Amino acid sequence: MSDYNSTKLSMGRSQVGRAGFLNGILPAIFLAVAVTAVPMAAAQETIRIGAPLALTGGLADEGMKQQLVYGMWAEKVNAAGGIEVNGTSYQVEIVEYDYQSDGPRAGQLAERLATRDRVHVIMAPFGSGHTVITGTVGERYRVPTIACVASSESVFSNNNPYLFGTLSPNANMTEVMARYLKEQYPDLNSVAILGRDDVFPKSMAEATATAAEQAGLEVVYRELYSVGTMDHSSSLTSIRRASPDWIYVTGYTQDLILARRQMADLGVTAPIITMVTGPAYEEFTEGLGSLAENVTSSSWWHHSTTYEGYGIWPTTADFYADFLKASGGSNPDYIHGSCAGSLAMLEEVLPRAGSLDGEAIRDALAATDIMTFYGSIRFGENGMNEARDLPIIQVQNGEIVVLAPDSIKSGDLELISR
Amino acid sequence: MDIGQILVNGLVLGALYACLAVGFSLVWGVLNVINMLHGSFIVLGGYLTFFAWHSFGIHPLVSLPFVALLLFGIGYLVQYLFVNKVVTAPVLTTLTLTFGLDMILYNIMTVFFSATPRRVTLDLGTLSFFGITMPVDRLFGMALALALTGLLYYVMRKSRIGRAIVAVRMDRAAATLMGIRVNHIYAITFGVGALMAGAAGAIFAMVFPITTNLTGMYIGKAFVVCVIGGLGSVPGALVGGLALGLIESISGHFFGPQHSLTVGFLVMLFILLVKPTGLVGKRGYE
Amino acid sequence: MITRTGLILFAIWVVILATTPLHADNYIVRTAIMISMYSVLALSWNFIGGFTGYPSFATVAFFGLGAYVGAIAQRNGVPMVVAWMLATIVVGAFAAALGSILLRLKGHYFAIGSIAVVEVCRLVISSWRSVTGGGDGLNIPLLRWSPDDVAIFFLMVMLVLMIIVFALNAFVSRHRLGFGLHCIRQNEDAADMVGINTTLYKVIAFTLSALFVGTAGAAYASWVGYIDPTDSFSILMTVKVPVMVLLGGAGTVLGPVIGAASFVVLEEIFWSNFLDWNRAILGMVIVFLIFFLPGGLLRVSFRKVRDRLKGREGVAT
Repeated sequence: MSDYNSTKLSMGRSQVGRAGFLNGILPAIFLAVAVTAVPMAAAQETIRIGAPLALTGGLADEGMKQQLVYGMWAEKVNAAGGIEVNGTSYQVEIVEYDYQSDGPRAGQLAERLATRDRVHVIMAPFGSGHTVITGTVGERYRVPTIACVASSESVFSNNNPYLFGTLSPNANMTEVMARYLKEQYPDLNSVAILGRDDVFPKSMAEATATAAEQAGLEVVYRELYSVGTMDHSSSLTSIRRASPDWIYVTGYTQDLILARRQMADLGVTAPIITMVTGPAYEEFTEGLGSLAENVTSSSWWHHSTTYEGYGIWPTTADFYADFLKASGGSNPDYIHGSCAGSLAMLEEVLPRAGSLDGEAIRDALAATDIMTFYGSIRFGENGMNEARDLPIIQVQNGEIVVLAPDSIKSGDLELISR
Repeated sequence: MDIGQILVNGLVLGALYACLAVGFSLVWGVLNVINMLHGSFIVLGGYLTFFAWHSFGIHPLVSLPFVALLLFGIGYLVQYLFVNKVVTAPVLTTLTLTFGLDMILYNIMTVFFSATPRRVTLDLGTLSFFGITMPVDRLFGMALALALTGLLYYVMRKSRIGRAIVAVRMDRAAATLMGIRVNHIYAITFGVGALMAGAAGAIFAMVFPITTNLTGMYIGKAFVVCVIGGLGSVPGALVGGLALGLIESISGHFFGPQHSLTVGFLVMLFILLVKPTGLVGKRGYE
Repeated sequence: MITRTGLILFAIWVVILATTPLHADNYIVRTAIMISMYSVLALSWNFIGGFTGYPSFATVAFFGLGAYVGAIAQRNGVPMVVAWMLATIVVGAFAAALGSILLRLKGHYFAIGSIAVVEVCRLVISSWRSVTGGGDGLNIPLLRWSPDDVAIFFLMVMLVLMIIVFALNAFVSRHRLGFGLHCIRQNEDAADMVGINTTLYKVIAFTLSALFVGTAGAAYASWVGYIDPTDSFSILMTVKVPVMVLLGGAGTVLGPVIGAASFVVLEEIFWSNFLDWNRAILGMVIVFLIFFLPGGLLRVSFRKVRDRLKGREGVAT
């Protein structure tokens, strides 16, 4: 087959006659349909919470997790009579769209939520970058945006007064961890760090390098792997030669499963293996089986914690029980916890705001200082949840054990035998 | 011993890449169709293998032939019902068509399987020789990948169907005159491409986590392998796969893992410009 | 070649888009901005993919590069509009240099080469952290105007770009260049033999396909205020553009505009109404279009109208 045939395109030049006229108006008609096909959001009797979700594309897994708890919360709150603001009880409504894990579409949908659906609050999607885009639109329309899964400080560095995040900063997490491990295992002298070159995993890898140096460790290996890497053997071979006391890997679950497998395959091991945020997700332990044993991680939340506070789920146990029912028996992770916690927080914030006006809600959010089943929520200057004790977790006998902080501790660090 | 380890890693990975790309290459070479469904076929094969193992306890090696045959059926139908209708159209048209079909398949998989990463946990242990450690399942995957690729090569050369496929690739018009049912051969070729994708998926399920998010990445790898090795020939996919595996492994070691993919793409661009037919490709197959 | 009717239609369409802020909410205005932006991309692609028949997938490389050049310039204090111009020039120069290498390839090989360019751009941008911020992306200083003003401003910017590229399309299709490109598409060797400088023509077409895509990218970056490598160099976006042109009618002047508009609007309808199945529905629409409108919206209805006319005549006689 020749190239010329294969590249020839169907042509219709100089045929833009009357037919063109008929078709020229087609898009206009489509546009009109688009305008009218979607009913205008109902009048002001509900509290509308906008949620651009990544239901397809690269972040689909996380998007579906958000969707699950949003639905749980709305159902439960509505069954309990809704939220009372300034003397009126409102039902809540989650307005959700699939933004396909695609940046431009996240902005487009945020715009739609702010102007067409007139939502009162936007729950930012999973991706850190997409959170920035959504937050920017929210700021323009004075709609507060709550980011329940963005942990990178760069997301909050734009000083967007309408953006709030319920996770606390990464740096906090890594310092606590380095200090804890050094305390528990005084022989800890060197660390190898392998991070995914992506917003969150990368910043965790970098923060850990800094924290480890501060704790007096030597960083013997420090590299990033690019998104789309299907093989870690060359990095792991280098790590094996460096033979560190602590191996720290960041990435998404599929990367971590692969990396842990290959570590075992290549005989790369260390007394402490940390994978962020692997064990925080149930699919990590499921996908690895016995290899997940004794892998440590930090997390922002774990269902074995015991917090009590505002909201339709007064305690962590209440949320956990409901979650098991909704998910068909699988355990919640920090995405579920933080996103449900953010919504529980709104149950306190909205009445305090006394109005559904964007600015009033923003001011109330900024003044938030409460406990929820997810833990304490108090926003700092940049809109991020302030530092709090974050759990360090470890897989022991297939179960997640909380090692620190002491207040919620359920076990001690176990080292991996060489 | 690091170098030995890295070379072996590269070769094993390369064999898996070859297995991933050979079906894609075949369809492209014979039908002149860039099959955007290929990545989803691999993931579908992986998911089917996973669920057979997870829900019914069927060993991946047992389910592999069935998964592969099922994919063959799907591939045959896709070609027969859809792609054949526009197979002579410009490459952009067929690409768009398979892209559209891929959106449908992808959506179905996300809804039914969700995007949670899954993996068959066999954990067969490792083998060590001369200080080089290799996981058994990867070696197994490599052996299987090589065997399947070899089988395909044999079938293409020796069987009636295979010779008909080659004939159609060389000259469609003449093949028609010789009494070859071109549409049927096309559908079979596409089916074989899907079959190899399904088999690759089954092997991958034992080695890599399976998730719908990886479809794009698999296609990307298939592209690179085809260009490096040469389009449309089984040996081309094999050479391309092994070369890419080695390139990624070696450059990952020397330039850091962050740059290994970039180096792979740059090598591909270089080969594209210097020798567009690939390392072992022949002129006239494009 | 474009008829007077076509021109009038385009003018009406521009007016419809330009007046959206008067009669619709900002969501529709944003949709209008996206339509204009994709029209710029589709019209630009038309030079290389439509007129010349080279299946280029490099569009998003130019878009992302323009976004990054504009963003980096703006972050270093270059005024916004100057940053856009800078992006246009840099992207144009990049495309000219790239074209002279890449256009030696044909057919499939050119297609893969152009996809590889996108990937290499993405990988380079994400690993060149000191300048591009790597995977963290870049924040761009936002226009501190009211949302309505921001929307109107960027709508006008994108519309102006769309009109410029449209005019260029119309100009090229009448010009010697357009004829030359047409010849190249039909038979490149023959074109070469009759004295057309094919290399030069192809490089010009390729550069034209990049120039204003770069501007659009830079303007897009200023508009949304944040860019990162994954979104700026998304393969999905680069595949969308040729699909739009095919949808409207490749190689025509009006086709890309119609294609971009219909595609964006269809997408909007599906996303907002079908939460779980939007991608599959869009896929089905694409499959449908390939089978039932193979020449694009413009062409098939022409045929239909003609056939219908013929049919009537047949009955009459």
